[in-house]
Amino acid sequence: MTATNASPSDVSNNSRPSDKLSDDQLVKMLYDMMLIRRFEEKTMQAYQQAKIGGFCHIYIGQEASAVGSISALKDDDPIVGAYRDHGFALARGMHPNYCMAEMYGKITGCAKGKGGSMHMFDRDRHMYGGHAIVGGQCPLGTGLGFSIQYEEKDNVALCYLGDGALNQGGFFESMNLAAIWNLPVIFVLENNNYSMGTHIARGTAMANDLSAKAQAFGMRYAECDGLDVLDVYNTFSDQVAMTRNAKNPQWERGNWDEIEYSREGSNPGPAFVNVKTYRYQGHSMSDPQKYRSKDEVGEYKERDPINILVNHLIEAGKATQDQCHELDSKAKQVSKDAITFAEESPDMPTEEMFTDVYANPFGPYIKGGLPNIITNENSGE
Amino acid sequence: MVSTNGRTLQYREALREAMEEEMRIDERIFLMGEEVGEYNGAYKVSQGMLEEFGPRRIVDSPISETGFGGLGVGAAMYGLRPIIEFMSWSFCLVAADQIINNAPKMLYMSGGQFGCPAVFRGNNGAGGQLGSTHSWVVESLFSHVPGLKLAVPSTPRDAKGLLKAGIRDPDPFFNLESERMLGMGLHGDKDYSRYQHANKWAPPENDKDFIIELCKADIKKPGTDCTIVTDGRPVHFALEAAEALEEEGIDVEVVDVRTYRPLDIETIAGSVRRTGYAVVVDQSWPFASVGAEVASQIYEHCFDDLDNQVLRVHNDDIPAPYSRQREQDMLPNAKKIVDAVRSVTYNA
Amino acid sequence: MAVTVEMPKLSDTMEEGTLIKWAVKVGDTVSAGDHLADVETDKATMELQAFDDGTVAKLILDEGATVPVGQVILILAEDGESVEDAAKTEVSTAPAPAKEEPPAEPASAGGSDEPEKAPEPAKPEPQKPAPAPAKPIAAATPTPSPQAPASGSVKISPLARKLADEHGLDLNKIVGTGPDGRIIKRDVLKAAQDGTARPSAGGASAPPMAAPQAIALESKTTQVPGMRKTIAKRLVESKTTVPHFQVSVAINMDPLMEMRATLNQRLASQGIKLSVNDFITRAVALAATQHPVINSSWMGDTIVQHGTVNVGTAISLPEERGGGLVVAVCRDVQNKSMMQISSEVKELAGAARGRGLSPEQMSDSTITISNLGMPQFGVTQFNAIVNPPNAAIVAVGAAIEKPVVRDVYGEKKIVIGHEMNATLSGDHRVIDGASAAEYLTTFRSLLENPVGLLV
Ligand SMILES: Cc1ncc(C[n+]2csc(CCOP(=O)(O)OP(=O)(O)O)c2C)c(N)n1
Ligand SMILES: [Mg+2]
Repeated sequence: MTATNASPSDVSNNSRPSDKLSDDQLVKMLYDMMLIRRFEEKTMQAYQQAKIGGFCHIYIGQEASAVGSISALKDDDPIVGAYRDHGFALARGMHPNYCMAEMYGKITGCAKGKGGSMHMFDRDRHMYGGHAIVGGQCPLGTGLGFSIQYEEKDNVALCYLGDGALNQGGFFESMNLAAIWNLPVIFVLENNNYSMGTHIARGTAMANDLSAKAQAFGMRYAECDGLDVLDVYNTFSDQVAMTRNAKNPQWERGNWDEIEYSREGSNPGPAFVNVKTYRYQGHSMSDPQKYRSKDEVGEYKERDPINILVNHLIEAGKATQDQCHELDSKAKQVSKDAITFAEESPDMPTEEMFTDVYANPFGPYIKGGLPNIITNENSGE
Repeated sequence: MVSTNGRTLQYREALREAMEEEMRIDERIFLMGEEVGEYNGAYKVSQGMLEEFGPRRIVDSPISETGFGGLGVGAAMYGLRPIIEFMSWSFCLVAADQIINNAPKMLYMSGGQFGCPAVFRGNNGAGGQLGSTHSWVVESLFSHVPGLKLAVPSTPRDAKGLLKAGIRDPDPFFNLESERMLGMGLHGDKDYSRYQHANKWAPPENDKDFIIELCKADIKKPGTDCTIVTDGRPVHFALEAAEALEEEGIDVEVVDVRTYRPLDIETIAGSVRRTGYAVVVDQSWPFASVGAEVASQIYEHCFDDLDNQVLRVHNDDIPAPYSRQREQDMLPNAKKIVDAVRSVTYNA
Repeated sequence: MAVTVEMPKLSDTMEEGTLIKWAVKVGDTVSAGDHLADVETDKATMELQAFDDGTVAKLILDEGATVPVGQVILILAEDGESVEDAAKTEVSTAPAPAKEEPPAEPASAGGSDEPEKAPEPAKPEPQKPAPAPAKPIAAATPTPSPQAPASGSVKISPLARKLADEHGLDLNKIVGTGPDGRIIKRDVLKAAQDGTARPSAGGASAPPMAAPQAIALESKTTQVPGMRKTIAKRLVESKTTVPHFQVSVAINMDPLMEMRATLNQRLASQGIKLSVNDFITRAVALAATQHPVINSSWMGDTIVQHGTVNVGTAISLPEERGGGLVVAVCRDVQNKSMMQISSEVKELAGAARGRGLSPEQMSDSTITISNLGMPQFGVTQFNAIVNPPNAAIVAVGAAIEKPVVRDVYGEKKIVIGHEMNATLSGDHRVIDGASAAEYLTTFRSLLENPVGLLV
């Protein structure tokens, strides 16, 4: 079978999911993007003031990718991704204070200062972490999809990855497992053209037609303009709908020759979505960006994802210039407050170093009945 | 002859019993691995489980250790209780990133939000003439990593009790089984009763709550003259050595660590304090191994109780050779242990 | 209010940066994201971006300058502020607090338009947070055994030591049967059973490895005897007023030792025994005749060069004679034979240690010898304090056997030879280093060709 670029909006191009977004929802999307932008500016500044350490990857330019895709999810759809994760955390609703405090290594950080910039986790918001080993999150996302199917829930797992992860074995194994078991997971390629300084065409076979990656596994493929948050939203609204309630054909034992893997229409299954985006900043804070021209960056800035939405809202009469300014000021202030919060928060205390190594350091082991194993209940100490 | 209630339960059956009992209790538990289902298990550990639990919970995975090892981590984070079977621990190395970089660090890196209550299990140690790539012993590699728990059961009873404890435990649990012991117990009392305390070696019947607490070393044979600290399959070499030494009037105590992480140093040190001598036996290569760690901890805890240095018996420091006799030579065995005990007790 | 821009941290390991090139000049307007300068980090040259809008008021760094992360490098005038005013903003050249420190003061959380505060300048001595208390998790670390370490000679296992301690046994009386005679458990148990190795009476419970028996040192105060006072006064005077310097030589004593042995054999029947010191005394005097500057005295306005060589020899007095040090003087040594010198010096030494020296026997030295080469000392080299008004003192050590390089039939070989060190301390007001070296060269050659001393 061939992979299809199935999008209902192609069929009935007059009605797109974004048409049904309320003004409030649209404004919220704009604000989320502005918040990410302003927050990341503050992050850079704090990094340069040596308040933030380690490796730090800025999401500026890619805001529409996280905001557009997450807006298409239910609140309890789990997501997992890579280390360029501040944008996801904020788009998922993590309070900017906790995100910034984490980067400051403070106890008030989302992971108590144990994770840092590359490891943002938020259990309450079903964010299963930023993961710093390239491609390492792919099997985890597959596990989330597996769990949803196992529990027969109607959620969808989103597993984000950079174009660099396309070349990792774990990615292929994950695609294969998702395909053979028809897991409710979407592999979201945040294709910003570069893994560090390596252009995708230099590192990835078939870079000019990434549908081949999906096709190899008989998986649905879609792509979208990652600078246009509404296009991202529309694409994910469709894809998520076509992924929910994916059923495992192998739950029926029998004649393997006749397993049916068709995933269109009424038969949902996993997908691979190529979000074409761009990062304005260097790979990390220490990247002099010798591998691309200023003109190239400049061209992308002409199509700034925030401006695109601002223009759209103003043209459509859904917001005024002043309102947009006001939103931006708010985003600035909230980001500034996050810095203040992080600065004022206490460091991770020494005792805290030794917690969370084991959920159950030595026992006792409960005899009989259901064991007490819910890990997050053990985490409060 | 001591009684084992007449149970004839093989080590592999004990593992199966552990999984089955826990799966009946807890719907979130599933078993995933290569050939665990339709094939009935590469080593027949999971024989019949597909019939009882169905393909949703007994999942045949393709040969993708990174993929399904990491899937287990993700599922455990989500709240399921995966049991991931590696056909052999020798094959887990391709999944190293998932099982030692992701699993044991998730709880910590997420500040306690996401744990990883997954079990990883499979055969560990030399099978028989499998050559170097297939003869891995991983306890020394993995015990190095904080955040995981690791057991090396030596009897059907321990295999069942430890695996059940590991399944219930909220932390990632590595169960290192031995292909060479899977059939142990097939002949019931005959298999168990060679040594004095064999009656402990079959798990009790009809006790679904039978578990063996982690971090509890077990004195497999009490003695007064020298402590042998060991694990898993070498426990049997040590017991064999103990019989030979008894004839010479040396009464050794065999301590089975059962878990390296956490390590029950109290029991080990208690024994060494009584005997004054220690021989540490493992199946690892000697450099930076579990045996080296145990020896070092004995020095820390028992320095003034030692009448001689701690001696170690371990693999020769070479990749496992294929040749039958040479493979035997490179592994620890009863003779090496006898020599070490004689030497350490000044009876050489 | 002006906005300051600091040297940014642009990599995880960067500590300082070099300003390669400014991309803006005073008066330029910039907005957030604009390229301000190129900065060289430990990894690469990177662009420094503006985080705020404004007009460039002042470029604080010259191109090429290297400053620590956090130091202010540029000032921006904000909207409505004059460039001149902004340029006057006081900035510290100290870097912002490093991240190890707790932030000195939280940044203001005030109104939305409030500008950024410049980072607090670092305190001159950054206060590191107090070192964290030891971690609470690890299993009890064993406390080190308080017992004294085994005395080097006793090999014993830790357990055997503990048992011997418990039984109060004397380790030196236990025979070890372990490898290399190590005392092991069974040896201690046997000794305990046999009743051997009981410690000597009184010390029943003394730990076998306890510290050596205490040595009681008596503390007492004594009046300083007159001679000590004189010695003290003269030595202090010498050490503080005479500018000392030292020059040393190593002397091959093989020929002399050989000749002395032969001579003494011959002279034995006459009851004469020449000492090494006798030869040294003569050599000191003969060398002085060739280098008269060594045989001189500093007299303030004048330097006196002496017409004869009176060699003083430092002699330490026995405790029962009150101890101390005298210089016995052998006169006109340059004109005396070895035999004369030998018998005179012997007599002087005897007198010094016995009834005492006459004032005449202690005065008018022109050069001094201090010899600590007696075998009971084994001193190989030392520096002496000049004995005023002499300008030089020669300190000699023992002639000892050691590996030396010698010409053996035209080939350089390492052989066992006698070597002696002599160190001249000189009064630099009179003697220069080179003169001292020349003198010692003569002195050495006299001793190395000792026949010359006999004629
Ligand atoms: C296994 C592994 N190899 C190398 C790295 C170092 N590294 C970190 S990010 C990165 C580039 C990844 O690029 P991409 O996946 O495109 O993500 P992007 O940075 O563009 O968001 C590399 C090589 C790593 N973290 N993990
Ligand atoms: Mg990329």
